[in-house]
Amino acid sequence: MHRQVKAIIENIEKVMIGKRDVAELSVVALLSGGHVLLEDVPGVGKTMMVKALAKSVSAEFKRIQFTPDLLPSDVIGVSIYNPKTLQFEFRPGPIIGNIILADEINRTSPKTQSALLESMEEASVTIEGETLQIKKPFFVMATQNPIEYEGTYPLPEAQLDRFLLKIKMGYPSAQDEVEVLRRAANSEPIVNLSPVISLEELLELQEEVRSVYIEDSIKSYIVQLARATRNVSEVYLGVSPRASIALMKAAQAYAKMQDRDYVKPDDVQYLAPFVFGHRIILKPEARYEGVTTEDIVNRIINKSVIPIKRYAEQ
Amino acid sequence: MKEKTFSLIELAIYYIVIFFILREWLVPVMELTNTGFLELIMLFIALCLVLSLFQIHFLISGLIKFAYIIWFIVFVYGGVFVLSAEGIDFLFNDFQTNIAAVLRADWLHITNPFRTFLFFILIWMLIYLIHHWIVVRMSVFYFLLLTVFFVGTLDTFTEYDGSFAIVRVMVLGLALTVFLLVKRLLKQANITLDLKKYLKLAVPAILLVFVMSSIAIYLPKFSPQWPDPVPFIKSATGQGGAEVNGGGISKVGYGENDSRLGGSFVADDTVVFLAESETKQYWRIETKDRYTSKGWEDSGYFQGELSVFEHQQIIETSLPVGPEEDTKTATVEVVNPYDFIIQPYGMKSVTSAMVSVLPNLEFMLSLDTEKIVTYVDRAPTELPGYTLEYSKPVYLYSTLKNPTEEIDPVLFERYLQLPDTLPTRVRDLAAEIVGIRETPYDKARAIEMYFKQNGFRYETDNVAIPSEEQDYVDQFLFDTKIGYCDNFSTSMVVLLRSLGIPARWVKGFAGGDVIDNHGSSSTYQITNNDAHSWVEAYIPNVGWMNFEPTIGFNNSRSIEYDLSTDDYEEEVLTVEEETEPDEKIEKETEPKKTAAEESQFFENIAKFFEQNKYILIGILLLALVGAFILYKIRRKWLPKVYGKLYRRKELNESRFEASFLQLLKLLEMKGFKRKEGQTLQAFAKEVDSYFENGHMSLLTAAYEQTIYSKDASAVNVLQMRESWEYLINQITS
Repeated sequence: MHRQVKAIIENIEKVMIGKRDVAELSVVALLSGGHVLLEDVPGVGKTMMVKALAKSVSAEFKRIQFTPDLLPSDVIGVSIYNPKTLQFEFRPGPIIGNIILADEINRTSPKTQSALLESMEEASVTIEGETLQIKKPFFVMATQNPIEYEGTYPLPEAQLDRFLLKIKMGYPSAQDEVEVLRRAANSEPIVNLSPVISLEELLELQEEVRSVYIEDSIKSYIVQLARATRNVSEVYLGVSPRASIALMKAAQAYAKMQDRDYVKPDDVQYLAPFVFGHRIILKPEARYEGVTTEDIVNRIINKSVIPIKRYAEQ
Repeated sequence: MKEKTFSLIELAIYYIVIFFILREWLVPVMELTNTGFLELIMLFIALCLVLSLFQIHFLISGLIKFAYIIWFIVFVYGGVFVLSAEGIDFLFNDFQTNIAAVLRADWLHITNPFRTFLFFILIWMLIYLIHHWIVVRMSVFYFLLLTVFFVGTLDTFTEYDGSFAIVRVMVLGLALTVFLLVKRLLKQANITLDLKKYLKLAVPAILLVFVMSSIAIYLPKFSPQWPDPVPFIKSATGQGGAEVNGGGISKVGYGENDSRLGGSFVADDTVVFLAESETKQYWRIETKDRYTSKGWEDSGYFQGELSVFEHQQIIETSLPVGPEEDTKTATVEVVNPYDFIIQPYGMKSVTSAMVSVLPNLEFMLSLDTEKIVTYVDRAPTELPGYTLEYSKPVYLYSTLKNPTEEIDPVLFERYLQLPDTLPTRVRDLAAEIVGIRETPYDKARAIEMYFKQNGFRYETDNVAIPSEEQDYVDQFLFDTKIGYCDNFSTSMVVLLRSLGIPARWVKGFAGGDVIDNHGSSSTYQITNNDAHSWVEAYIPNVGWMNFEPTIGFNNSRSIEYDLSTDDYEEEVLTVEEETEPDEKIEKETEPKKTAAEESQFFENIAKFFEQNKYILIGILLLALVGAFILYKIRRKWLPKVYGKLYRRKELNESRFEASFLQLLKLLEMKGFKRKEGQTLQAFAKEVDSYFENGHMSLLTAAYEQTIYSKDASAVNVLQMRESWEYLINQITS
């Protein structure tokens, strides 16, 4: 594993017990410049996760708690008239930062959700004709309660597409939970966490990820998977080409994390459920039957044909 | 149920055997009907068998076969591709014509493409039937019986030579019968055998069939008892013998039994003797006097009485001898020894150098046949060489033209004998030929000349054999008009006798070919091809005179023309007439001869291949069975072979990819099957967990780098050697 990535993950593991996969996936999203949607019940450590990540990469961490009465300006900022200077001054909202935790985004109104997602997509905010570029790295980790819960505004499908990965946190195992308790009893571990890489190093790493080689056979494999999602009887809408791009980028990041400068089918297979999962829209009857999009993606992976020769030779 | 009884491979073997047996059906049909495209029809059979083998749905298989038939017909008869405009047009037209013909029941006007179509349908049905015989009845006895009968019949009645076809059919058929019998017994007893036990049973059976067949082939066999039944059958059914297909073929050469003449013969270049002499002449051996309506026999008039002559003593035969001053010598060098002396016309005595070592050398002249046999101590002996003194008789033209001697029918009874069954039309013909001619010589000349015209043809093939009721001469003169020397000479003798002219049938050799010249004399080589028969007629006042009725042959007689110029010219004219057609015939026959030689050469090659083909088919069959067995147990031996192969070939960069893919195949044979959706790495882990090490993962990582990364050459293949060798050893041990 890549030295710096390993450091980050080990750092996170100091405060997050038994959630290495979530940490890894978060780093994948961070390195490929995407955003993560964490879906789970409250109290399993989502905030801790993001805090630890932010601290490890010496990034500025901000948190937005979404509530039904939160306004878009509370997210992106507002211009206030300054009587001293007789001018409107822009007060940037919490979105202007490096690593943002957007907590429980499905609790706020669609208008506010939309403001967040727009700025995520464009990495900029526009207020009264003035566009403000958000500094890099810009990484949003949104959390949401499972949508079946009451008092939520489900995110529209088109907006889910803005997240590179959707990760489910899950409860820790009994053993891990005991460990969590033990640590919590002693001190607040997050306080003692120190950064392991600088922001510049992170930006460099992101740059390197983009240059990870991806052979044409792998690209065609990604396309093969993407196309397969469009031909499943239970699926109402398969994934878009944007999803294929997302999967490719994520795979590059994952390959880099393994300290490899080329992508393997294993990378693609590992990431496909997280990249495609929230982009597939199931038919209602399939949903009632309890089929999940992850099942569908896994099924597709099993049926796929791995390229085991060079692209030209196939 | 079918799958349970027959495995695919087993059935495939049976079908291959069936394929070769069916080939024996097709080959003669193709040969006799001059149909080409044997390969394409065989392909159709193969197609039918394969479709039947894989139990393709009957609609699909029917469609495929039908498409093939249509393609074949359009391709062969129309010369165009079936899906072209012309092809469809051709099909449509043909279809229309035939539908019309069938509706009118006008069977004669059905076109060849339609006949071919029906032929294909027949093959199709036959194969279905065979499938039924094998799979359901598990017995191909009737099919075999039919095949043997079919080939046998064709061999007997047509030009097709089925001697090896029969052998092939028997070998293949017996092998097939053995397996099907075992199969049937197993099914009845409701037991199954594993491959090992099955082979224990099958291999000896197959070997037995092959050994028995080989022995049978090399055992001596009777020659055909009835060489050519066709003329007989034709005459028995009232078709007569005018149209004759050849049948029993004998070899040319001198033989003693002439009681049944006729039938074809093939050339034989064996040299019999060499003769050095000044003149080219016929070599007489013996004469025969009794015509049986089928051939010639010795009447035994003198009851086997012999005259004995000694070395250099003047031998007296019934033939005239020329004047003393014309005496010449001929030295005979015998190559293929006979115990008789060959006689030139006008022979006087025999001298042999052997007399010094064989003081009891005697020459016995049979009064019946005039055959001279060499005896030493009263036992027939073969002389390696001898010298003959002879003086050719000279006939005076005046004597021939003005006979005074009366023929005494009692004295010449044996030379005037004719069977009672001789049809009267033969006698009528004789009278018609001679017309108003008066002298016996003129009559004989007329008959001799008769054969040169009137549509007779010299032929050694397709010569008829008379049936029980038929007369040999009658058949030749009126029905076939095709034959060789025996036909011509016998006919002339019979015609002469019917006119009251004493005549006898002579056997011997024609003059042969010059192979060497020494001054005035030449060396003649006489081969079995020169074996010949001709005619001697008794001409009043001059005695026995030789005549040559056979087309293409010429025997000189010395006639002294001592009459007026008018008569002389007349005779010269006839002589010219005589020689002209002969030359023509010779010219015609010459290129034929070389063509025949060539075809003989190719025939020999074909025969050689024909014989080897049988062995080849056997080898092929064994090889196929072997290949199937090897295929079945490939998991046992193939990895070892590969292992040996790869251990020798060191792993290197240039062929790392190919080697790795091969390794995957080897692993598959070992039971490590990678699912298509499984990544190589995941698969490698599986393999490694079995071998409890990390060699496969190491190799796989390297392979992945070669195929997925930008720079494949970064992989250090040499480091993989250890892992490579380990895995190969593990798999193949």
